[in-house]
Amino acid sequence: MLLACDTNSAVVVPDSRLDGILQCLSEQGLPVRQLTREEECVAFAAGHRICGRRPVLFMQSSGLGNAANALGSLAVPYGLCPPLVISMRGTGEEQNPSQVPMGQSTEPLLTALGVQVFSIRSDADVEPVARRALTAGFDEDTAVAVLLEPALGGGRDERD
Amino acid sequence: MNATEVARTLVERSPDALLVASLGTATSALRSASDDGPHLYFGGAMGSATATALGIADAVPEREVIALVGDGDLLMGASTLWSISALAPANLLLVALVDGHYSITGGQPISAETRFVEVARSLRHLAAARAHSTDELASLLPTLSRPGLLEAVLAERTWPGSSPFVDPHRVRRRFAARVNGGSEQDGSQTEGAEP
Repeated sequence: MLLACDTNSAVVVPDSRLDGILQCLSEQGLPVRQLTREEECVAFAAGHRICGRRPVLFMQSSGLGNAANALGSLAVPYGLCPPLVISMRGTGEEQNPSQVPMGQSTEPLLTALGVQVFSIRSDADVEPVARRALTAGFDEDTAVAVLLEPALGGGRDERD
Repeated sequence: MNATEVARTLVERSPDALLVASLGTATSALRSASDDGPHLYFGGAMGSATATALGIADAVPEREVIALVGDGDLLMGASTLWSISALAPANLLLVALVDGHYSITGGQPISAETRFVEVARSLRHLAAARAHSTDELASLLPTLSRPGLLEAVLAERTWPGSSPFVDPHRVRRRFAARVNGGSEQDGSQTEGAEP
């Protein structure tokens, strides 16, 4: 779906649950740019956007806190927000208490920043929800985030 | 050397470069030096200008990209130096305005010596040099290899004059037109044409 919507680069801070998607995109020839921090990813992707490219940013929900100022002071006011794909932690059956406050804050924080939120909870959601979100993000100049909820699967090992 | 003189040197010596200015002094200096030219001015997002310049350099590798950033701004987003080292764009130059102070927030001193040149030289693929005058800066601009970092050491801490508050959508439109080879007047002529 990302390729069908002409995504032409992926910007990422690593997450085990996103590895499969990124591997797939990389095999399709998409440049995958791994950076050091989510705030940096937002700013980097805004640079792609202002040059007319179509980047998607992948992060864990805990990284949204790191990204908040770049979203609120750059990507949203300048109209340069890349679609965000956020792997949710801290909801559902989260085993790590340290992940819970940021996970619970993800949707309200995005909404407060003016980012529209789309949730994917099952395989059947993927195509329609991702298409709607990417169309809004790329073609309608809207700030959007797609949340990959725990119910979608792709769970973590204990150490994650 | 002051910030406006640094910005003027960049505008005059690299007239076709895509210029990105961090919030505060760098944005004010570049607006003053270029008669408010169609550059990417930051009105906020401290610490993010370097990463946006890296994204632009990555997106349009055939264009020269120069980021003019304050020392406090570069310090806040310093991990991007490691990303520059990893991606090694051959079209990116950072020019750091080094005066050891956070000017836009009231002139508080930066607590540590920044030593950006030494840090950059320790990273793979990054070249770095220090300039104390516009003559030194002008001679280093064409010769320093890319990606590179130039520290412009400011002896004068004068406020450039232009407002650091910009209209984000106007900045985006004019800069995007410049990326696409449009004239510098495109933005002002189409002002208000977009929602």
